[in-house]
Amino acid sequence: MGTPHMRLLMVEDNAELATLLATGLQTAGYEVDVLSTVEEATSVLLTTFYAALILDLGLPDGDGLSLLRQLRHHNNPIPVLVLTARGGLHDRVHGLRSGADDYLVKPFALEELIARIEAQLRRPGHLLSSSLRIANLEFDTRNRQASIDDQPQVLSARETDVLELLMRSKGRVVSKKQVEDHIFGHSGEVASNAIEVYVHRLRKQLAERGAKVQVHTIRGIGYLIAEES
Amino acid sequence: MFRFKSIISRIVILHVFAVAITSVFMSLALSWLLSYATNNIHNEAMQEQAITVGEHLTADSDGQLRLDLPRDLLGLYSQAYGRYSYAVVDQGGRVLFSSLKNQAALFPSDTRTHNVEFLEQRLGDATVSGASVKKTVGNEAVWIQTGEDLTNRDVLIDDIVADFYRNVGWITLPILLVLLIADIAIFRRALRPLRQASEIASDIGPTRTDVRLPTREIPREVQPLVSAMNLALDRLEEGFRIQRDFTADAAHELRTPLSILRTRLDLLEDRKIGQALQKDVEGMAHIISQLLDIAELDSFVVNPLEKTDLRSVTVEIAEFVAPLALAQGKNVALLGTTEPVWVTGNSEMLGRAIRNLSENAINHTAPGTTIEFVVDKNGSVSVLDHGPGVTEEERNLIFQRFWRRDRNMPGSTGLGLSIVQRIAELHSAAITVENRKPTGACFSLRFTPLALT
Repeated sequence: MGTPHMRLLMVEDNAELATLLATGLQTAGYEVDVLSTVEEATSVLLTTFYAALILDLGLPDGDGLSLLRQLRHHNNPIPVLVLTARGGLHDRVHGLRSGADDYLVKPFALEELIARIEAQLRRPGHLLSSSLRIANLEFDTRNRQASIDDQPQVLSARETDVLELLMRSKGRVVSKKQVEDHIFGHSGEVASNAIEVYVHRLRKQLAERGAKVQVHTIRGIGYLIAEES
Repeated sequence: MFRFKSIISRIVILHVFAVAITSVFMSLALSWLLSYATNNIHNEAMQEQAITVGEHLTADSDGQLRLDLPRDLLGLYSQAYGRYSYAVVDQGGRVLFSSLKNQAALFPSDTRTHNVEFLEQRLGDATVSGASVKKTVGNEAVWIQTGEDLTNRDVLIDDIVADFYRNVGWITLPILLVLLIADIAIFRRALRPLRQASEIASDIGPTRTDVRLPTREIPREVQPLVSAMNLALDRLEEGFRIQRDFTADAAHELRTPLSILRTRLDLLEDRKIGQALQKDVEGMAHIISQLLDIAELDSFVVNPLEKTDLRSVTVEIAEFVAPLALAQGKNVALLGTTEPVWVTGNSEMLGRAIRNLSENAINHTAPGTTIEFVVDKNGSVSVLDHGPGVTEEERNLIFQRFWRRDRNMPGSTGLGLSIVQRIAELHSAAITVENRKPTGACFSLRFTPLALT
């Protein structure tokens, strides 16, 4: 969940959608200002600091991408999450080249929007005290502490490394290479089955301690942590 | 009525008729010309003979006319030879001299006639043809008649006429046939730009509406047709564009209200109802995405210089679909080569093809099973499942838009495999479907691998 009083700016011309999304984000603990034109957004961004910008691409007085280009041109590093009804090949390439940090195609789950914003705010330079949670397993990224049912757990350094990486990428596959790099750095010589051993141990630890999560092996690719099904 | 199937056959058939008619007329004309020429020769010879006879006609001092023919001429006109004859007639119509036995004139005398006249006359059972030449000898005008018996005509000339068809006349037919063959070759050559235009036209389809027929090499007579065709293509292209834009615009327009619906559901107090309805919204959003993919594919052209690492695209897609598979109690695995596999193609499009294949596989594979991605260094990627497989009859149907085996199957729009096929087509990739033992399907896409450099 977001830190209280994090201010977000949403530029979305559909009033109904804007209101609903703002309500959802407020429930998640954010403060949200809603604007509907490029012009308003340009002037407001000059004077007010926002933690992130949620930008719709199709705006009545211009393309959201032009606003984005303008921001990046003035070296404004604000994280920008683009919302679009277009999801085509060219739109995607355009959006990312114009300096968007992330991209959501309508319709999307409110949960997904919140997750993406949190991911942006956790970026280096936006480090927040935030804990990651799946079912009854929680991982606090600030002190690297895992807890199950709010009971702090003691795990080995390697197991903690692996768990942190998996929790940070919750809902996504972490490649075996990423795990290797995370644990051993880029140069280290890695025994071929070392990662398997650590994941196996972590899986065993989590199961023994009653965590309702599962560490899936995606053969040939990597690992994914998810709620127990 | 008989209709010709091609211009060439029309030309050939009509040409054969023309050649047949021409050869008949040409023979007739030649034989007429020949007889005209032989007649001329005959007439000139007769006139010359009359003049020669006339040279030997002299007048005495008392005005009496005398004819002293030299010996060779006498022989020529002798009764024994019987071929040539002469007569000299005076103004009163009296016959002064004649080579004939009965001292008769060869032709009826007509004093009003001109200096030279060519005549023909039946004498007994012979036909005499010859000339009558007027000459003034002393102070008297006489007409010298010379004739040839046509039944005893000059053998040489007769032979030429008689042998004309046998020796010369037949040559017209082969000459005309050679002309016919030459004409066919000429016409074929002349029609070549049309054939080339046809080949270009055969490439035109919904994805290649930008192609136009060349007008530069096309003969002027056919230009209006080609230009009209190109204008028709302009209009068609515009029509296709409007339709594509409509599909894309309609799909885009649906996304915002769907977003509103989705967010409203997310904010519902009752999570249970919300979750069920969210699934419906996701299904609709999926159809819209696929419609957009199709609209985009209809105008997409693969850049032949673009290259893609098939393996990294497959890894990306496998990572993308893994959470979806796990959520359904299924898993994914990546097998095959671990080296990059470079192929010609657009990475986004290849990704969409593999994604649709894997979504299809996840939908059909049995719960608890794993779908497998296999990338081969020969430029192919396969997606294997543990579902019911694809029967022989279904193999063509499955790639049709909106075809579904089970209309109640959740998550299936009937568009996915048609998108896969379209992308394969655009990349000249081969798509194959095989069944696995004991059960399951294996879909493979084989792209053009780039030469290893």
